Amino acid sequence: MATLSVNNITKYFYEPVEFQVLKNISFEVEKGEFVAIIGKSGSGKSTLLYLLSTLDTDYEGSISINGIQVTGLKQNKLASFRNEHIGFVFQFHFLLPDFTVLDNVMLPALKLNRKSKDEIEHKAIELLTLLDIKGQEHKKASKISGGQQQRVAIARALINSPAIIMGDEPTGNLDSKNTKIVFDIFRQLAREQGQTIIAVTHDDEFAANCDRIIELSDGMLVDTI
Amino acid sequence: MNTNQKIAHTFLTSRLRQLLVAVLSVTFGISMYVFMNSFMAGVNDQQSEITFTSMPHIKIYNELPAEVKPILPQPKDDNTALIVNSARNIRYTEGIKNADAIKDKISKFDQITGVTTQLNQNIFIRNGVSKANATLSGINTVSENLMFKTSEYLVEGDLFDLDKRSDGIIMGTLLAQNIGVGMDDNVVVTTSDGISKSFKVIGLIETGAISADKSRALVSIQTARQLFSKNKSYATEVMVNIKDYNTAVTMANEIAKLTDFKVEPWQQGNSQLDSANVLRDILAIAVSLTILIVAGFGIYNIMNMTVNEKIKEISILKAMGFNGKDVIEIFLTQSVVIGLIGGFTGLILGRIIVRIVDNIPFKIATLSTLPVAYNPTDYILAFFFGILITFLAGYLPARKASKVDPVEIIRG
Repeated sequence: MATLSVNNITKYFYEPVEFQVLKNISFEVEKGEFVAIIGKSGSGKSTLLYLLSTLDTDYEGSISINGIQVTGLKQNKLASFRNEHIGFVFQFHFLLPDFTVLDNVMLPALKLNRKSKDEIEHKAIELLTLLDIKGQEHKKASKISGGQQQRVAIARALINSPAIIMGDEPTGNLDSKNTKIVFDIFRQLAREQGQTIIAVTHDDEFAANCDRIIELSDGMLVDTI
Repeated sequence: MNTNQKIAHTFLTSRLRQLLVAVLSVTFGISMYVFMNSFMAGVNDQQSEITFTSMPHIKIYNELPAEVKPILPQPKDDNTALIVNSARNIRYTEGIKNADAIKDKISKFDQITGVTTQLNQNIFIRNGVSKANATLSGINTVSENLMFKTSEYLVEGDLFDLDKRSDGIIMGTLLAQNIGVGMDDNVVVTTSDGISKSFKVIGLIETGAISADKSRALVSIQTARQLFSKNKSYATEVMVNIKDYNTAVTMANEIAKLTDFKVEPWQQGNSQLDSANVLRDILAIAVSLTILIVAGFGIYNIMNMTVNEKIKEISILKAMGFNGKDVIEIFLTQSVVIGLIGGFTGLILGRIIVRIVDNIPFKIATLSTLPVAYNPTDYILAFFFGILITFLAGYLPARKASKVDPVEIIRG
């Protein structure tokens, strides 16, 4: 069974004029696959990612994640679904600046509320160690460097062991050294932990090293390698 | 602390100055509420106290019934005509001949705190060529003092000297001034029947109620009975005080069942006092609620700004799996915490302000400082309204926060 299955998706923008962003897109992604979505600006790749992430619900067609059809679910259901099954890494790291690094990583797990606080903290520290930012956990998120912030964001995405990690240009804001670090982490997660990773990227080198590339052009799938 | 409360706490403490401003606006609103209401209640109490220095809660006196009873019964058949010309009520008796009997009857009620009899008549009072109209009150010094604390309002002399000297009279300060007499001067009292008697001024009284101070003269009730040639138990009025003057109307109805004389609660004929009290209360509540509402707008404004400032954080929380309800809880918790802190400091500040006002000198009439009251209900209501308003003011921005579309914000 595919981790992610996208069935005939179509989406329109209505502002400023009606415009069809995505046209009849269908594809599947298997467990443990590391997929890059590429395409020119305006090709609809970010729009597609936000549909997959369940944040945007205004589309035609259907999406299933982990065998559950998320299309048509209520907002509150979707929120807890995201909490449990999807991890996010955004371009501009998007940590909560007033919270400590550790709190940022722990929040999704505290929300899920399946483990004790000590267990969550233990797991968070483990992840921070894995991502090589141990020792910074009691600093405020706004007080560490950009590369470190992106790694904290990845740790946060991983805390609930989600089925899919989605990245919107996860390395778009990083220098080549940090890009390599982040890429290697993703690579390792997909290979060793069997986590599915879907990342929108502009970076051809990043894309080339993925398992598979989904290319969009003018809202249509061009090619699947 | 659960996760939402932890987030609310972090949001609150990360902007200490904003938190302080928001808390201060609630503090100010609530302390003003406490102050306004305590002050108005103090003024009301003071007014009532002045009023009841010369007026009882319930007065029993002899008055003709308002409606004229038919002299003859209506004829039963149409062939008989009944014509009565100039039907009128004729006064057969004046005053209450046997006031002691009434006193005995009503002293059964345990709500009653004091009963006294008075003999009041209009007189002329004269000092040489200057003369004035006055009301002569023959009083029972002991029970009168128990009810009205009359001796406290004496600026000179001793109330109980009235019992010792049958030619002693105590005059209102303004009345004495009007006819130009002071202590130990002689005045001549002339009754409507033309009887004159000379009295010696043995005391001056100032109650603060100008109309009373201008027209009132006191003698002992025995002296008055003698002057007006009345029997031993005679009185024009029986005055009754009860525990709670607000219940005077129902109490008067009870007493009316025991006697044929007119039983009048203080509200009758003094509606201006009653309405002044109510109006002052309305004014106090209107002003203090306005202040609280303005404070509410302050909180609304601050919370709205916070929501706009945190819109990115709200989007992240939503992307991570926090739903609309969580977001409302997070922001509402912040408002309620502001309300609670502001509420408690407001009560303390309000209490301090009231204490200070209580000590501000204000030397008019019988007052020495501004009057205030210490009613626990004012404090409870202030706190209740404060929390209610912060809750409402916080709810609207919180709801707005819950409706944030994370896609729009995260995509930029």
